[in-house]
Amino acid sequence: MILMLIALAVFAITYFLIITEWINKMLAALVGGFVVILLRVVNQHTAFAAIDWNVIFFLIGMMLVISVVRETGIFMLIAIKTAKLAKGKPLNIMILMFLATGIISALMGSVTTIMILVPIVLLIAGELKIPPAPFIITMVIASNMGGAATMIGDPPNIMIGSATDFSFLDFIINLTPPVLAIMASSLGLIWLIYRKGMKVSNERRAKLMEYSETNLIRSKKLLLASLLVILLMLLALTLQVPLQLETATISMAAGLSLVLIGSRKKVEKILVNDIDWITIFFFIGLFMIVEGLVATGFIDLLANSVTTLTGGNAKYTSLVILWLSGIFSAIIDNVPFVAAMIPMLEKLGASMPDPSQVHPLWWSLALGTCLGGNGTLIGASANIVAVGIANRNGFKISFKDYTRIGAVFTLNSIILSTLYIWLRYYL
Amino acid sequence: MYLASFLDARDICIEQRVLSKQQVYQMLVDRICAHHQLPSCGTKLLELILQREEEAPVAYASGIAIPHIRMEGFEDTVVAMAFLQNPIDYEGTKISWIVLIITDKTSSKTYLNIVAALLKLSKDSEAMANLAAAHDGHSVVHRLKEMAVMVKKDLFISDIMIVDPVSIQPGATLKELNTLMSQYGIAGLPVVDQNLNYLGEVNILDLLKVGIPDYLMMLDNLNFLMSFEPLEKLFENENEIKVSEIMSRDEIYLRPEASIIEAVFEMILHKKRYMSVVKEGKLVGLVTAMDVLRKVITA
Repeated sequence: MILMLIALAVFAITYFLIITEWINKMLAALVGGFVVILLRVVNQHTAFAAIDWNVIFFLIGMMLVISVVRETGIFMLIAIKTAKLAKGKPLNIMILMFLATGIISALMGSVTTIMILVPIVLLIAGELKIPPAPFIITMVIASNMGGAATMIGDPPNIMIGSATDFSFLDFIINLTPPVLAIMASSLGLIWLIYRKGMKVSNERRAKLMEYSETNLIRSKKLLLASLLVILLMLLALTLQVPLQLETATISMAAGLSLVLIGSRKKVEKILVNDIDWITIFFFIGLFMIVEGLVATGFIDLLANSVTTLTGGNAKYTSLVILWLSGIFSAIIDNVPFVAAMIPMLEKLGASMPDPSQVHPLWWSLALGTCLGGNGTLIGASANIVAVGIANRNGFKISFKDYTRIGAVFTLNSIILSTLYIWLRYYL
Repeated sequence: MYLASFLDARDICIEQRVLSKQQVYQMLVDRICAHHQLPSCGTKLLELILQREEEAPVAYASGIAIPHIRMEGFEDTVVAMAFLQNPIDYEGTKISWIVLIITDKTSSKTYLNIVAALLKLSKDSEAMANLAAAHDGHSVVHRLKEMAVMVKKDLFISDIMIVDPVSIQPGATLKELNTLMSQYGIAGLPVVDQNLNYLGEVNILDLLKVGIPDYLMMLDNLNFLMSFEPLEKLFENENEIKVSEIMSRDEIYLRPEASIIEAVFEMILHKKRYMSVVKEGKLVGLVTAMDVLRKVITA
């Protein structure tokens, strides 16, 4: 009991530090993780065993893939082509960027996509002399939506995919349809909110159309190799079940082959610059802290009280999870939230008579956390990264600026998700 | 080590005649060759000395000229000198003391320290008057011994640094910085307060970075951008932005007593081509990688 309280205290303090950002979140998570061991809540062996290496190596593999693919210039090409395709008209750019961000996020991850595309949008907005904030906000929203559509798009989904038996294909079958609907309705919202007020002179537009993308691809050979490897990776992920391969193996295989093909002379530079160790160790620390809660029985306690509350009814539990995770993910970073929710859902599932009843719970968690991340400025990593870039460039996006728009899209997303969960799994 | 210990009275002459530069050099070469085994001697040696002088000037404002030559396989250092009662004109500088140094190709430290000792001496008018009053080589060696003129064993950064370098205060505008940089042709300078307390450094890349938005730095490449107004923001805000906003504050600096190897080590480690020299918090000098090359390696 005392151990449980200690575990809970470490958990609470760490999450408080993560939310307030008084210290670096990776440092907070890692300190919390080892404090749990030092105070003998769990022994080192148990804590280390709780680290989901499938998630860790999946992330590292994807970071390797992205580091090489960035080199080819393909992301820049897509962004510039998109702006030109929109003929420099602001609303068109916004809509096309929304779609491009969503698609790339679904395949490459939301944070990376934002990191690559936001600087380009700042450039384009600067050239067109229009305020960049609406573009950044809608792109962040798109990145979290696109990320929700696949197993590899958003950190919460990666963690859920790894903790459960769901394959890449299961995620597509269960999550891509609602996300497509949500994105389509979001386009309508964009039109409603932004259709007026963005005027650009012809001269400015002409300047944008002068961008020459002919030199953007540095090496056609590397580009072809990259596209081939990504294609093979997606194929392997789709055939995960018959191939009996775990996600981390597939992403590491893709990442390592690309590094071997394209960057074998720059391995040290990639390890230092392109692998985001902060994120990696943040995850490691979180897994260890949450293990403290699991090992001391706190998660059991929580799961039991949820079961009592919903009377074991899977439909209500799903909807509660959806809304709860939507609200919580908006308030705190969704990664630590999911880290704590996963063991709870595992316990909940164990207490249900029919294991297949558990499935919708997971999809509710995935939709709730990924889409809830859009709710406020601090809801997801992509939001924080994007606003950080904007602020550094003198375009202040305040909590209010973001949340005013983000909350509308989130509410729309969660309502549609509720409908989806209800109609698809419980009718 | 005493400077006198490097000297042989036979290699020192007091000259009253009106002679040309070549004549003096010839005389010094003859004296040295008379009792030293050199890899080459006579006219050949004289030519080498003159050729070396073409590459780098040897005259100093204090009235001393130090022609020198480094010979492969000599493994010694020989110093010969002439005190001229009729000064020779070295492209505008009146030279009344010529010191010829012949040394080995590999030992620059001894040579540089002898040069440092000679330069210091040449600026000391009392000592110079004392030496000029000598009537022969023995007397010169004797007087140097009496004055206890030392040649340091080691070479320090303070021996090769630029003393009182150009610096700027944090309150200066970028326009002033820009002007200083172009005026002196320098790509970076130390930042100090009004009492010369060292605060940091500012370089040309810090300045140019003002003109390029942060988001451009985050792009993978810029080769699609043909017509971005170059450095627009820099021109617009030159008069408003202060050096304090772009300078770096935690720069590495050297102590004056740092060794050459330490300076080179720090330069390579931190990829810096110049370093401030700071003593008790105050800026006293600046040493550049080029100084090391010119004054130590190819000296």
